[in-house]
Amino acid sequence: MVENGDDLARIAESLREPVRIDPALDARVMAEIEALPRQPSRLDSRGHWLFRRRTFRLSPMGVLAMAAGLAALVLVAGRVGANRAEPPGAATGPPVEDQAAAGGPGQTTQFVFVAPDARSVSIVGDFNDWSFSATPLEQQPGDGLWWVTLSLPPGRYRYAFVVDGTRWRKDPNSPAAEDEFGRPNSVVTIGGP
Amino acid sequence: MMLRARFCLLATPFLTLMVMATRLDAQEPRLAGRLPGPVLQRIDSLLDAARRNGLPTEPLVDRALEGLAKGAAPDRIEPAVLRLSDELRLARTAFGDAATAAELMAGASAIRAGATTESLLRLRESRPDQPLTVPAGVLADLVAAGVDIQDGVTAVLAIVAAEDADYVAFRRNVERDIALGASPAAALGVRLRGMTEVLVPGDASVGVGSGGTRRKRKP
Amino acid sequence: MKDESDAVLVRRVLAGERQAFARLVERYRDPLGRYAVRMLGNAADAEDVLQDTFVRAYRSLTRCRPDDFGRWLFAILVNRCRTHAAQRGRRNGILRANQHVVDAAFVSASDERDALREAIALALERLPAEQREAFLLKHVEELSYQEMHELTGTGIAALRMRVFRAREELRRLLAETIRG
Repeated sequence: MVENGDDLARIAESLREPVRIDPALDARVMAEIEALPRQPSRLDSRGHWLFRRRTFRLSPMGVLAMAAGLAALVLVAGRVGANRAEPPGAATGPPVEDQAAAGGPGQTTQFVFVAPDARSVSIVGDFNDWSFSATPLEQQPGDGLWWVTLSLPPGRYRYAFVVDGTRWRKDPNSPAAEDEFGRPNSVVTIGGP
Repeated sequence: MMLRARFCLLATPFLTLMVMATRLDAQEPRLAGRLPGPVLQRIDSLLDAARRNGLPTEPLVDRALEGLAKGAAPDRIEPAVLRLSDELRLARTAFGDAATAAELMAGASAIRAGATTESLLRLRESRPDQPLTVPAGVLADLVAAGVDIQDGVTAVLAIVAAEDADYVAFRRNVERDIALGASPAAALGVRLRGMTEVLVPGDASVGVGSGGTRRKRKP
Repeated sequence: MKDESDAVLVRRVLAGERQAFARLVERYRDPLGRYAVRMLGNAADAEDVLQDTFVRAYRSLTRCRPDDFGRWLFAILVNRCRTHAAQRGRRNGILRANQHVVDAAFVSASDERDALREAIALALERLPAEQREAFLLKHVEELSYQEMHELTGTGIAALRMRVFRAREELRRLLAETIRG
């Protein structure tokens, strides 16, 4: 009765006709690309991003020199560092591997924990080598609210709060993460390029 | 003369310690001295292998540090690091050689939550030019909140056109609904309908997952 | 100038030669444009999405296997068209079913063909986005269902259903125009 196939064929044929886009688009695209910051090339010959963590092996003499230098540094730092309040989380995290590839600066993330009776609260996690002392939280006076703000490059970070140095607590504001060591965990995911 | 002797005296303990460290080939300084020698060596070999295969080592070190911070025994730490390295490798199979460390960490979490490499591959192919860190992370988070892994995969793929911020909002809403007493499947379904209606308003044919069939919860 | 393959150009870009990307833009502008115009209904939106697509492709070029550039680029385009529709929908609240510009991209031959084109374009706009996308991928881009599945992540059964519904609806909407 009706040539359905032909109808479809005519529709498809019409839609398949070539379309001409204004060639000025090319210049706009390249202008936007030229405006992108140039990043140091982190590609190997196959065009793959490199994951390289710098490790170094020291000769015994190198070690000696380093030990001497470190000892000197510690002495100096001990005197100078006492009164300087370091911004939390600033120099405490391990270098994140593809931070350069990610475009560098991280996303500011605030962590808040409510613990009116606590004397101290710190945050420990993937972003500070799970160090108890690296990132203490600041207390809002009189409120039982503890908080800290960190700058985190893209990634997925497991963490927990440690109250009074001994009690591990999850973050009620974040999803839980599977724990295999017997203490609760939370996780925060930072997206980005 | 006296000065040199004193210098040697001072230097000796340092020298001994440091030389011992280098002899053990402790490439990861943060673990050195905190784990028994043999365990440390095996973990360092693992890190070496990961490095050679282009996998990120930082998550592996972090996992060991986590175990140490939590006072876990070495015989729990070592398998945990091994398991994570397997998961990273699988995530890389799915996400491709160009995946970032952030994506691989999130992919590994998704695999830990039960996602197959097949489903992660579909995620990669549906979102070829945007990072998968947040979608894969959200998948793992949804499962942690009680959502069935298959439902989670369906949901994450269904909203693959969404921006990262929308993924996060979606996850928060589902979690909150579950915390308020909704069943995970129902919370997921309702919030998914809300998302897909925003993405294509007025489109009656868009439903949960593909083709509108609701997956049954596993008993 | 010798016609270099996509793979060669991609590798040159990855090696730092930004301008080589311009050759790829030139090569893919119209083919991608055809899908974008059909999907979005007008050239202005299509150009916006094309620009977005090319820049994103450049920025994430390391994720591309050089031999697969065309398909990979097209996947980005399909994705951006979806997002564009979503953003547009959010801004306007409803899909703009009747706002449509018959643009200079169409090579006009006769009044009859123009009328048909315009009718088809209007009918396409009235399809739900998912059906329109599936129909275009199947019958205009002429992909297999397997390829469509790989591109969109949607199951093949669902894709078949969408194409089927799209065909039925288009036929219904265009019955008079085609035969009249």
